[in-house]
Amino acid sequence: MVTTFERYHIEIKEAVIKTPLPSKFIVKRYNNCLNVQECTQTCIYEVHKRKEDGQVNEPKTELCRGCHLCTLVCPKNGLVLQINPEFESLGDSYYTPERMKAISFEAETGRVPVSGTGYKGLFAGKGFDGIWFDFSEIVRPTRDGIHGREYISTSVDLGRKVSYLRWNNSGTLDMQIPRVIEIPIPIIFDAPCPLAHDAKLSRVLVKAASKLKTFVILDANEYSDDLLVYSSHIIPRFPEEKINTYAHLIRQSKIVEIEILKTDDIAEILRQIKTYNQGVLVSVHVPYNENAVEQALMLTSSGVDILHFYLPEDECIQDPDRIVTSIRTVHTALVQAGIRDEVTFISAGGIAEAAQVPKSIILGADATVVGHAYHIALGCRSCDRKSKSPNCFPHINEISEIASQRIVNLIGAWRDQLLEVLGGMGLREVRRQRGEQGRTLFYSELEEKIFGENE
Amino acid sequence: MRQILQFQLPERKITPSKYANIIARHEVIIDREKCTVCGKCMEICPEYIGSARIDYEAFQKPQGLLRIIQPSFSCKGLACQRCVTVCPTHALSVTLSPQYHVLGDQRWTADIISSTWKQAETGYVPSGYEYKTGQSEGGFDKLRFDFELSDERQSDIDCLSNQNMDTSLLLNKSNDGREKITIPLPVYGGDMSFGSVSLNVMLARAQAAQAWDIFTSTGEGGYPDELIPYKDHVITQVATGHFGVNAETIKRARIIVLKYAQGAKPGLGGHLLADKNTPDVATIRDVVPGFSLFSPFPFHNVYSVEDHYRHVQLMKDINPRALISVKVSTPTDIDMVAIGSYYAGAHILQVDGGYGGTGAAPDIAKKNIAMPIEYAIPIVHNYLLEEGVRDNFTIMASGGIRTSYDVAKTIALGADGAVIGTAELIALGCKRCENCERGRGCPAGIATTDQILSHIIDPEWGSQRIINLYHSWKNQWDSILAILRYEHIADLRPNTLVKFKHGRFNHLIHLDHRR
Repeated sequence: MVTTFERYHIEIKEAVIKTPLPSKFIVKRYNNCLNVQECTQTCIYEVHKRKEDGQVNEPKTELCRGCHLCTLVCPKNGLVLQINPEFESLGDSYYTPERMKAISFEAETGRVPVSGTGYKGLFAGKGFDGIWFDFSEIVRPTRDGIHGREYISTSVDLGRKVSYLRWNNSGTLDMQIPRVIEIPIPIIFDAPCPLAHDAKLSRVLVKAASKLKTFVILDANEYSDDLLVYSSHIIPRFPEEKINTYAHLIRQSKIVEIEILKTDDIAEILRQIKTYNQGVLVSVHVPYNENAVEQALMLTSSGVDILHFYLPEDECIQDPDRIVTSIRTVHTALVQAGIRDEVTFISAGGIAEAAQVPKSIILGADATVVGHAYHIALGCRSCDRKSKSPNCFPHINEISEIASQRIVNLIGAWRDQLLEVLGGMGLREVRRQRGEQGRTLFYSELEEKIFGENE
Repeated sequence: MRQILQFQLPERKITPSKYANIIARHEVIIDREKCTVCGKCMEICPEYIGSARIDYEAFQKPQGLLRIIQPSFSCKGLACQRCVTVCPTHALSVTLSPQYHVLGDQRWTADIISSTWKQAETGYVPSGYEYKTGQSEGGFDKLRFDFELSDERQSDIDCLSNQNMDTSLLLNKSNDGREKITIPLPVYGGDMSFGSVSLNVMLARAQAAQAWDIFTSTGEGGYPDELIPYKDHVITQVATGHFGVNAETIKRARIIVLKYAQGAKPGLGGHLLADKNTPDVATIRDVVPGFSLFSPFPFHNVYSVEDHYRHVQLMKDINPRALISVKVSTPTDIDMVAIGSYYAGAHILQVDGGYGGTGAAPDIAKKNIAMPIEYAIPIVHNYLLEEGVRDNFTIMASGGIRTSYDVAKTIALGADGAVIGTAELIALGCKRCENCERGRGCPAGIATTDQILSHIIDPEWGSQRIINLYHSWKNQWDSILAILRYEHIADLRPNTLVKFKHGRFNHLIHLDHRR
């Protein structure tokens, strides 16, 4: 059999929505303007333009990039530059206006955000912001991946792996090799926010997932029949007692997900599911809490294929450190028990920017589950996330093509940034980044080592 | 015996900004209904004449927003309010200027930018600004010299000190017979390529370097002929793109820098986006104009310490008199890189921390890759000291060093000196608006190669601004040395392992860890 190698490629197309985020800057003109036109000559972003009658137009604030120049050259000092209060009030302490702006840029263009001048933020921060990647220098070659000069794989495997092979006396394999499913990016989409949920949103998501050749998790009761054509990219999620209700979905799916288990008899549940579909992989949706380690060990030894741990977004916002310690703890416990490679560990929570995908992986997850970020790509303003707002996705009806393209663009930009990190670290594939904590620089540890108490 | 450097300081000259207005901290607003245009406010203002002015014409206009007094840089705003009190009709109010809030960020605060502008203008530190530290909540911004905490009035000494201390730095500490270059300041100019910045900016920096007898660097983008008159003060950079690198440009320099990595984008090659690759830039880089240039990474002939040795030796063979500087960023094993470079025969190791400047870099790399310079310097210093080679090797710190105090702190942490990039551009009027990378580039004419925009900066004006900035910095170092009773800035560098105890080490105190 001849198989042709197909290089994974994400098709980027510009995708503009009608209600972009509010612009960051506002330029105001005071009434002492004498129409000197210094501003029109200075501004290279076309914020200030002449009208046909020669007068200066009202400033086109949305084009402004905050260079201050017009306010400096105006002979009457008649211009003032401000931060748009509407922009400043976007999001919250975790999904900051700057992060939302970055997501929105990535969704619109599919490009990696590149800018001039050095880093502008805090020295270090909480959670993911307290982590730096190591990189390769001189003796460990880097990889030149992003511009296609060297191939770097971003594929990961979902499913169990055996630690060794067993042969019988006649030289044939004496065990069953579990099935794994390879996805070309270490990103799976979480079920949409229940507030914003409607059938159109599921469709947009599923389309994006199928273009990206990855999976989206959907609540089984939202899984309408017209989505069945995309069944190879959907992971239906249901509570354990509904196994029989969703037998038809189990038969159609490659992976199913069980909501946190109440019974202890996992093996029985797995057996029940596999009677409907022998080859299906079973994922379990478990919260990161004080029992997380215990759960991880128990589920892994009972034969679950995928551990999907999650930290609800509002808990990430409250304490961003929790997600970092949680991933590390679960991964370390599995390693210490000697069963890390037997299970796939995917982590959800706190993925608000591209860097947090490789950061989750370097802390120990095999892949990440992206939730709130794609909502922002579709125009969610991240207002309070407690009540449905008519502004959630105001025009998803007309723009489903554009909407799914925006998700594709976002992930395209994130994958390129993942390649930047892997290239810089000299890694040829993202699988080798998993759990590489020795190549991670932790703020807390460095701070203690250099400025803290020695000895 | 240390050799005391006799050096004629360049002249300070007042060099104001070329703009009509400033970005002031405060704003005075007049209620037009109430104002009787009596002028009492202008009489009482201690900062008045020249900078505060009332725009009477605006009164003629019937409606619209009104901001009629533009306060000077040194308006004390809410703390003074004399104009508000004196007004017979209560027509005035003073507020914080919303525009000052736009300026700057946590690392380069509006105060640091404004005070750097003021130092570039006058050559002295302005009063009333927090010019020493930013608000990044870590690193230099949490480190203090003990005298800063013990006596609050010490900050005034900076402006008063006129002692001329020895702030010189010996760059070649090995005894290999190459030139013992000594520069009068513990800093020199960072690497900025033609392409990322304009030729006029390079000229301004080169002229300032000549006046101070320090150095500036060509960066990656080749050696423009216009810099040849300053060749004794221009470092030739050899980077992975090898743009404009040839035997001639290597032979021309007194120092050659091999750029292995850059702090703003460690592990990635240089970026010059298509819009900025103009015909002029393309000619000097020997490439096709209009395409994005992403330099390869790493040097594909250097994959081991042995390769690194050959690379350094090759440069030494081509130019038998130059010093070799190795520019690296900060991976976990920066100590190993440092010792490797020492044994490869380099004279200078430039450690470029993760928060360094750039003309264009992916945001993900700027924030998330490599460690900050404040950690890297003690690691390198301690390791080289333990290996017994510290005094034969010059360590230059760069990447996120903004102020004279940052330089002093980095020396106190174990570096010999610092390499300055962004601060020089701020002196030329940069506002860190992040728009260097694409389109026509910088609207202020700094990081641009646009035909028209690149002529905005006048090299004479620019070089004087940089000269003034270094004057002010030298004053501050002089007073730090005077207070700490050191004769020479090299004495500030520890001769022992850098080890903090209870948040203290020598004269440094870390605010978060002190007990």
